Amino acid sequence: MKKFLLSTSLLSLFATPAFAATGQANTSAIVMFLLFIAGTMVITWWAARKTQTTSDFYTAGGGITGFQNGLAIAGDYISAASFLGIAGMVYVSGFDGIIYAIGFLFGWPVVMFLVAERLRNLGRFNFADVTAFRLEQTPMRVLAASASLLIIALYLIAQMVGAGKLIVLLFGLEYKISVIIIGALMMIYVFFGGMTATTWVQIIKAVLMLAGGTLLAALVLMAFNWNPDVLLAEAVKVHPSGASLVAPGALVSGNPLNALSLGLALAFGTAGLPHILMRFFTVSSAKEARKSVIWASSFIGYFYLLTFIIGFGAVALLVRHPEYFNLAADGSFDMLKDLIGGTNMAAVHLSNAVGGSLLLGFMAAVTFATIVAVVAGLALAGAAAIAHDLYANVIARGRSTEKEEMRISKISILVLGVLAVLLGIIFEDQNVAFMVGLAFAIAASANFPVLVLSISWRGCTTRGATIGGFLGLVFATLWVVLSKTVWVDVFGNAEAITPFPNPGIFSIPLAFLTIWFFSVTDKSARAVKERDAFTALTVRSQTGIGRSGAQDH
Amino acid sequence: MQDTVVEKVLKHPKYVELVQRRTRISMTFFFIALVIYSGFILTLAFMPDVFAQPIGPGWTMSVGVLTGILVVFSAVIMIALYTYVSNKTFDPLLAAIVRDVE
Repeated sequence: MKKFLLSTSLLSLFATPAFAATGQANTSAIVMFLLFIAGTMVITWWAARKTQTTSDFYTAGGGITGFQNGLAIAGDYISAASFLGIAGMVYVSGFDGIIYAIGFLFGWPVVMFLVAERLRNLGRFNFADVTAFRLEQTPMRVLAASASLLIIALYLIAQMVGAGKLIVLLFGLEYKISVIIIGALMMIYVFFGGMTATTWVQIIKAVLMLAGGTLLAALVLMAFNWNPDVLLAEAVKVHPSGASLVAPGALVSGNPLNALSLGLALAFGTAGLPHILMRFFTVSSAKEARKSVIWASSFIGYFYLLTFIIGFGAVALLVRHPEYFNLAADGSFDMLKDLIGGTNMAAVHLSNAVGGSLLLGFMAAVTFATIVAVVAGLALAGAAAIAHDLYANVIARGRSTEKEEMRISKISILVLGVLAVLLGIIFEDQNVAFMVGLAFAIAASANFPVLVLSISWRGCTTRGATIGGFLGLVFATLWVVLSKTVWVDVFGNAEAITPFPNPGIFSIPLAFLTIWFFSVTDKSARAVKERDAFTALTVRSQTGIGRSGAQDH
Repeated sequence: MQDTVVEKVLKHPKYVELVQRRTRISMTFFFIALVIYSGFILTLAFMPDVFAQPIGPGWTMSVGVLTGILVVFSAVIMIALYTYVSNKTFDPLLAAIVRDVE
């Protein structure tokens, strides 16, 4: 209860004039955000009463339907970073923004055709249950937890820093206070309501986001007689890059290998993101898992189409509004460099331009809600990695009680919450643009190969999976650290050591080849047993028989 | 006890059919997805000029933007088709196996 009071007192800061004066605080945004918080607090209170066991805490007791889960996954996926980021990228470089969106979207066919149903049939709480199904617990859990925690940390930092800055602009709050509010809200949702609250917060936010995005895109199209080509023509006319706005640009021309490499990491990374994979255990069966994917990919695909319209709409319409730009002395502005708050704010300014302050307030509130919801999902996946993988299965070697695991999970949530706030503050002025890309690269180079090979290749052994997984993880990380985005832009060295920033084209095949090589050369007795166990794994992954029995130990 | 269930499933004639057909169909879908996606990325990387053309005289929309939109649709359509095939073919097979074994 103390937590609830703390959060309300924090929120009352919104109302104080000191904060309202520092930015462009918008009354309707604050009212709508407070409504969102009130609604989600009721849900958390309701969810808390249903959250008794570890299964409730990690997977909402498996009682989420495919449709609900699809919405929640779409919610996780269309984070503020991807909505504002892709709209902003389309605003700056047009077509290149579309490339990112397609890469993110093509993660879903990969998830559907290679892992979704088998994942549901084999695991209980997270994907490490699946990789450790027939391979040895300790190395597989340590590998999964290391990669997952690294991915979660990178994602968390990127969300916290991006979010903090956004909220400074939207609500006129101080950076530190906005980061603390996000951390505090996230801890309340997850600590008390577990996966049930996290899922429902995500569902509500996804519905609001889809509704807001639809309205915004419709208003843009309406301004151009509902003709997308007229919209594009106007965008091309006013944009500094002219006709090349609708052609492949800098992302590709610099280095085609880099573009390929990025494309691989985006498409295969989704099937290795711990907080996304975890959602497949919240549904009751493989059939519902399948339904989740079809709903999730439909919503995500639809939303990306809206984002393209919003991005091009921002190009075409914002130049008519000098009030959204930092003007030079003579009243002129550069539409790419002078947008208030940077180009990631393109969609937000656009909502003001076409829908007035009410729509601006709505989009601002939804964006804030998005960040809190995504951060909550990440923290829950992190808690599962610590409590379920590292504590229950590695340290206690399966001898811990459910109560102990639950206690460790809750402590982990508090630690992760405080850590997220601290990291958000430490990285405030750092360049964090590379972090989401690195998270996807690690997911594609460590988690994805191990997951796919362990469930679909009889020959895969613990030795192969451990060596290959860690090699993929280390290689991808080192490559990014030594590339321009970190080595030069963050550490300030003169020249990058790796030729381009995205490691995928090397790190993903490297992981697969290493797993293959160290598996086929593995002649140990353990390897023989593991290969034999593949038959039982296949029976269960194909039919789900035995799954219900395993749920109550 | 676990083993006997596994053995029962393995001996079930429909199990072999299920595994073979499902593997074949999901691999086919995966391959098609790979072709569409890598086709898009490779064109982008090595023939960007193709994507820069307008789709017709008098249009601003480029081949790239239109292809991008179609590629978005293709991903969702493939997933929908796979779901349809699964519901129609695999679920009845699976139900038969589960009924006989349990």
